[in-house]
Amino acid sequence: MKYIMVTNNPKVYEKYNDKLNVDYKQQTYKQVLIRTRDMIHSGHKLLTHPLSGSVKPNETVFKTIIVSEQQNTLDLDSLRIIEQSLETAKKFGVNQHLMTEDLLNDFGLVDLSLIESVIIKLENSL
Amino acid sequence: MRLELRDILIKNIQFGDVSEIKNHTLYVNRQDIESLVMEDEHIKEVLIDIARPGEEVRITPVKDVIEPRVKIDSDTGMFPGVISKVRTVGTGKTNVLKGSAVVTSGRIVGFQEGIIDMTGEGAKYTPFSETNNLVLVCHCHDQIKAQDHEKSVRLAGIKVANFIGELSIGLEPDQVAVYETLPLLQNILKYPDLPKVAYVQMLQSQGLLHDTHVYGVDAKNIIPTILYPTELMDGAIMSGNCVSACDKNTTYHHQNNCVVHDLYKKHGTEINFVGVIITNENVYLADKERSSDWTAKLAEFLGVDGVIISQEGFGNPDTDLIMNCKKIEEKGIDTVIITDEYAGRDGASQPLADADEKANAVVTGGNANELVILKPMKKVMGHMEFIDKIAGGFNGNVAEDGTITIELQAIIGATNEIGFNKLSARDY
Repeated sequence: MKYIMVTNNPKVYEKYNDKLNVDYKQQTYKQVLIRTRDMIHSGHKLLTHPLSGSVKPNETVFKTIIVSEQQNTLDLDSLRIIEQSLETAKKFGVNQHLMTEDLLNDFGLVDLSLIESVIIKLENSL
Repeated sequence: MRLELRDILIKNIQFGDVSEIKNHTLYVNRQDIESLVMEDEHIKEVLIDIARPGEEVRITPVKDVIEPRVKIDSDTGMFPGVISKVRTVGTGKTNVLKGSAVVTSGRIVGFQEGIIDMTGEGAKYTPFSETNNLVLVCHCHDQIKAQDHEKSVRLAGIKVANFIGELSIGLEPDQVAVYETLPLLQNILKYPDLPKVAYVQMLQSQGLLHDTHVYGVDAKNIIPTILYPTELMDGAIMSGNCVSACDKNTTYHHQNNCVVHDLYKKHGTEINFVGVIITNENVYLADKERSSDWTAKLAEFLGVDGVIISQEGFGNPDTDLIMNCKKIEEKGIDTVIITDEYAGRDGASQPLADADEKANAVVTGGNANELVILKPMKKVMGHMEFIDKIAGGFNGNVAEDGTITIELQAIIGATNEIGFNKLSARDY
């Protein structure tokens, strides 16, 4: 299956940009969710859960979400999940922690790890 | 499958010249522990300490907690597929060092979380303030990969718990409990008039710091399967989950799963407890569909009338929980779900990231966003370097005198989703 990785995580961009379709932009966690919601409205289907990981939306700054490359009619399940995820992210508020390089590196690493396991499965399916 | 759990009560823990158990006291020789932990080439240093109930001690960040146990009269041991032969466990006799625990700590990532206070306000929210803890603060070499780091600290805890468990071989137990589950058809024939109940246990399985291992297999690569409940008591499931301190299941939780214990209490009188279905919580939505289809199929196949479903973690597992609940209900099987809440500090917000009208019987482990004030402790095992940056912390949450204001989600086991905690809420 062909897919698009929507991300603000430079580690995901560095690892996959050469071989996969990576929609990378320096943006906030919430903006990644909004960008994904907009893509769902234009017919892309959600392939990974937007709230992947137990690291909280007001704790990490990085998020990677995968959607189908193919556009079809609006997928209501995808829309429901992204809207609920946006509500949850709003509830947690904005990250106000002072980030060090080490912390940014660790948050990026966990986000990358969560998505790596999915890429292996996607690459093994039609 | 029949398992005899033989509790040896541990009422104190001390360092000693010889590692042994005498008069309900666990004596630990530091060198024994250090040698065992330092076998791992990735670990450069281990600080070994003791934390007893009531002492002014804070342990943080906590990676895992393990109860020392040992299988006796068996050709395998605890944690099969990890440190023992891959054989099915859950039968025979197992010694349990009740009242003791091994706690692992150490920085794997900067936002490593989890607090155990042995006294004061925080102690009320974690079950591990009541155990005699051997604490291992492990430091690995600087260039180690986070995945290897997690594995090294995880295995250090498991190996030490196993070593301590083995000290009880030859000791007479203080109390014995027997748990037995018959093969399905025999079980159904034995209690034909009682409602048949299964337990669906969801395991965290998303990636780095979010993993669980079943007989040594990474749970993100399993499809749902069936276990005898006693297998859990012998280390069939090991935690590699280091995130979401309040609602993660440590290995201790798996060994002492209170849903299993409570179902056994009612087995043969009010219900017929037929077994455990384990499933995972993956990131890929197709996995969620597959796994929830399978839990529903297995529940139907077992012919049960009702299931209890427990969750682990925050956020996307809410979707697994609701999918499991909905699909099992659609098979005509009643469900009760166990979760916790992120309902904001005032408790007024939508508590879960997913919902469905079929989820009409819910047990909550409490609101993880609730604030708690923790006074400073005389001694910290581990470090407090990132206490304002972990989940539940915030800028300015540490006062000049060291008092911390923090959300309950920072405390290990505070809102546990198998109910191994003290918080709940009732509404009819």
